[in-house]
Amino acid sequence: MTGRVNGIEALAGDMTRSRSARRWVVTAVVAAAVLALLTRPGAAHGGTLRLSGSSPQVPFWLVSLTGGGVIGVSFLFAALVTDHDLIRDVAATGRRLGAIPASLTGLARAAGVAGFVVVVAVGLVGPSTPTANLAVLAIWVGWWAGFTALTYLAGNAWPAINPWRTLAALLPAGDRRVSPRAATAISVGGLLALVYLEVLSPLSEDPVLLVAAVLAYSLATLAGAVVVGDGWFERVDPISRVFRLYGRIAPIQRTGDGLRLSLPGAELTRPPATDPRPGERAGSAADPQPAGGSSRADGGTAAARSQDRGAWWARREGDATFVVALLWVTTFDGLVSTAAWETFARAAVGVGVPAHALYVAVLLVGFGVFLVGYRLACRLSRRTGNSYVSVPEIRVRFAPSLLPIAAGYHLAHYLDYLLSLLPSLAVVATDPLSPPASLPVLTLPGWFGGVGLLAIVAGHVLAVAVAHAVAFETFTGRLQPIRSQYPFILVMVLYTTVSLWLVSQPTVEPPFV
Amino acid sequence: MTRTRATHDRPDARPDDRSVVRPDARPDGGGTPLDSGGREARRWGAPSTAVPPGTDPSRCPYCDRPFPSDRRRTLHLGDAHAAALTDEEAEAVAAVRDDEADDLFVYHLKVVAAIVLLLMGLAYVYAFVLS
Repeated sequence: MTGRVNGIEALAGDMTRSRSARRWVVTAVVAAAVLALLTRPGAAHGGTLRLSGSSPQVPFWLVSLTGGGVIGVSFLFAALVTDHDLIRDVAATGRRLGAIPASLTGLARAAGVAGFVVVVAVGLVGPSTPTANLAVLAIWVGWWAGFTALTYLAGNAWPAINPWRTLAALLPAGDRRVSPRAATAISVGGLLALVYLEVLSPLSEDPVLLVAAVLAYSLATLAGAVVVGDGWFERVDPISRVFRLYGRIAPIQRTGDGLRLSLPGAELTRPPATDPRPGERAGSAADPQPAGGSSRADGGTAAARSQDRGAWWARREGDATFVVALLWVTTFDGLVSTAAWETFARAAVGVGVPAHALYVAVLLVGFGVFLVGYRLACRLSRRTGNSYVSVPEIRVRFAPSLLPIAAGYHLAHYLDYLLSLLPSLAVVATDPLSPPASLPVLTLPGWFGGVGLLAIVAGHVLAVAVAHAVAFETFTGRLQPIRSQYPFILVMVLYTTVSLWLVSQPTVEPPFV
Repeated sequence: MTRTRATHDRPDARPDDRSVVRPDARPDGGGTPLDSGGREARRWGAPSTAVPPGTDPSRCPYCDRPFPSDRRRTLHLGDAHAAALTDEEAEAVAAVRDDEADDLFVYHLKVVAAIVLLLMGLAYVYAFVLS
């Protein structure tokens, strides 16, 4: 701390000499700042909903503007924290939780397969009313809303539960290599296709159709696993990739020696543990010797290593593209249920555009816009930071900071749906074949809409913090990392403003589906 | 300071050409030495770089990473190779850090001004809309 007279870390450092005491003081300051920020939109949105119905109401545009303002202010607060050691220490805070008992993993596998069998069976022979059918409720409420939320709020249990992975282990496993580019294309394409099906086809209304889709996916997944082996679930399967990436936000992470509890989002500031960078870490298993390495010449080993590095980078670039796709599909989900979209879609179909073509076009164009926007921000980041760090490097390192935004948006979109239908799911699960005629539904109070807005803002604030930590890890000194974040902050402010506007719109059924 | 330079300085170097990390560089690539005390030390390490053609970058004598200015390179020396510096380099690092601290102070004043303006602006808009 010698000779640095600036920033709150210096103040804290003077007060407390020991590193850990200083870390706690500043963690408290940062936490207080974040809390102070969070109370602002909360108050505003509480106001919106409390006052809705009576005359003075906070208009939607002001809610959006406030959201954008909160992102701006959280970036400005983050800019006051410029000590490399401190940022690293905060990201490294945590404790070991111990290993996972093998019996628990076995139980999770059995439960996953049992759940899969029950869903398929009940979907086919159960009641045809979707809200009384266990298959529909379990997939949409229990799994897509509930389990996904659990994954980013607690930890990723999908690799253990994944019934297809358990079933694939019983089949012969191939070892065909899939190029990272092809893997990315399949998983991004698969994700877009799944969301297209979710939004557009009557999958949530027809249990038999839903089971057909599940079986089609099972067939494709098991075929993929037979050809590629376990790598299919690690690199290609879109659903596993969604959970793997969402799981990286969570406070509980799997490490080499059991579970580890750390701050939410801290894992996003580091390269993935599950796929270490080849040859860059001393004393790790990260430098794989090619099979039968003894028979190879040295040149061959070097070439294989360089190929490993190339593949590692291609996988990280694939992750970056997939994260952008994930962010876009959560937005698309919200976009097509707004009144504004209904007006637009009716006008477009009115002039003769086929409805499904319109949805596909918007799904693809929107993904393109998001991808170009992100890549442009990375390019600009190199310029505003006046840095020689390569653009692909920036793309790969900053992409995980977008994940909390997607998670916040997912929570905003699904939390009230999840909570209100959870009682139905519980009742139907007790008697799936002849459920009672009237199912309990939780009626949420009016102020609950504010929780969704809060989730979006919290996701963005976490994203700002992650981007800040990544910038300090990537760029030199203390001013350049801040300047390099300008384009990302601009993009995030724009995105928050738009997504808050989307969420505060009245929800309608997507037209023409 | 007659260290040999690594030869991988093609301006179009792709991220996979990451061979600029030399044996005397820290295995995890950079940053101030941190006693990780058993905590997780998994880090991104030194980033790959791409130098615009036709420019003559200032290169780190330890890890050959290019920088647009000598000042930036000196800051990097303090960040990434603090343990290995010569006395002369350590002095340069201290001087440049001092300089940066002054700039950062002015920058932080601007940041505080921006925070005040932003919050007051929002409060003003709220007062206007809700009145």
